[in-house]
Amino acid sequence: MENLYIMKTKSTPEINFDLSTHNHSIRGESYPENTFTFYDPIFQWIENYIETLEQQEVIFTIELIYFNSSSSKVLMDMFDIFDEASKEGKNITVNWIHDEEDEALQEYGEEFKEDLPHLTFIIKSKV
Amino acid sequence: MEEKRVSREEKLIIEVEQSLAVDTNLNDKRQMIEKLLREYKKNLKQLDKIIKMSDKQQKKLNIKNKLLEGLSTKLSCYLSPQIYDSIFSGRQDVTLKSSRKKLTIFFSDLVNFTQTTENLEPEILSDILNNYLDEMFTIALKYGATVDKFIGDAIMVFFGDPESKGEKEDALGCVSMAIEMRKRMETLAPIWMDNGLRQPFKVRMGIATGYATVGNFGSTHRMDYTIIGGQVNLANRLESNANPNNILISHETYSLVKDKIFCEKKDPIFLKGIPYPIPTYTVINFFDKIKQRDEINLIEENITLYIDKDNLKDNDKKEDIIHKLNIVIDELKALNENKK
Repeated sequence: MENLYIMKTKSTPEINFDLSTHNHSIRGESYPENTFTFYDPIFQWIENYIETLEQQEVIFTIELIYFNSSSSKVLMDMFDIFDEASKEGKNITVNWIHDEEDEALQEYGEEFKEDLPHLTFIIKSKV
Repeated sequence: MEEKRVSREEKLIIEVEQSLAVDTNLNDKRQMIEKLLREYKKNLKQLDKIIKMSDKQQKKLNIKNKLLEGLSTKLSCYLSPQIYDSIFSGRQDVTLKSSRKKLTIFFSDLVNFTQTTENLEPEILSDILNNYLDEMFTIALKYGATVDKFIGDAIMVFFGDPESKGEKEDALGCVSMAIEMRKRMETLAPIWMDNGLRQPFKVRMGIATGYATVGNFGSTHRMDYTIIGGQVNLANRLESNANPNNILISHETYSLVKDKIFCEKKDPIFLKGIPYPIPTYTVINFFDKIKQRDEINLIEENITLYIDKDNLKDNDKKEDIIHKLNIVIDELKALNENKK
């Protein structure tokens, strides 16, 4: 398995999944022309990656400035996978980062968190 | 061609459909159908959440929009409607940019405003002043003027930017506006006198047409959409040289309106930096309006004669005019004799 790095564009975020540190991040804006096409390889990577995990601490940092409705569906799918994996004993944490003044992003984080009983989901404001 | 969006659930549905098409034994597909149901339920839940989040944001956006709407309505009172429209429609950049345009520029000022109003309480004075400016503003808008600014009792407006109907129409619009403003003053005077004004306001107006620099001036934090240039100074000087209740215009404005509006040639004025005298004209009225009034006027191709009977109560004035007319008649007779 290899690291996954996708450069950010105007409408897609930077994907930086690092196997050596287990610190992974999604940063930028997300409103791809075809959300499922863009996220398909990312989902494949995540599913394969979770198969390889044992007890190591894994952190996914999500720092999105803007995302459209189909991206929020993708995010919920992704968090469901993490939640399922956490239920099975994997040590996964999601850091949901929002701008201090961006109440909407904070509320999105809270909405997502509501349906994730097993996953460690931390909402942090960026100062 | 745009790629079709296929979610994970849709993929599964297609897979199940294809399996069911070749095999009717549902028992073998139970696991798959159960998974599909689970995914479908999850999908519905997600949909629910997205709608909830979207509604919440929509509500917030609506509140913000209403707030912005209210603010922009308040802000609009500080801007000329044309400038406001061009900024809010995106046609106008809010940057320190300017351009040269042919404009007709108008200035007006109340004669001896301070002396005329010194006996008034400040509240009454501000009521009268606001009423005056409001009435004049309404007339300016009616003719499509861009109201540049109010400076105390003075008004500065221009025609030809951001919208222009052509230089002739712009000049005609401006002079027509000035005539209506002057006329309106006559009907407003008794109302203000009832409110305590000792004597009616008299207004001086000046109009000039020519190229001026128009745009945003100031700093990037605080700017004014205004005009600068020699013609602006000229319009201002014409205003200060006008007699009370008179509209003094420049030669260029006169050239553009003379077909429709009767004007009298007046003394030229001198401007700082310009070595020659500048011809000026005072606006009387529209030709068709003059003909309806009790005035002597003869406006034909070879002769323009206008005498305001109201101004002839004084016998000396009458004598003076008769004397002048006799000189003209004698000169014409002499010309006629010479031809024979």
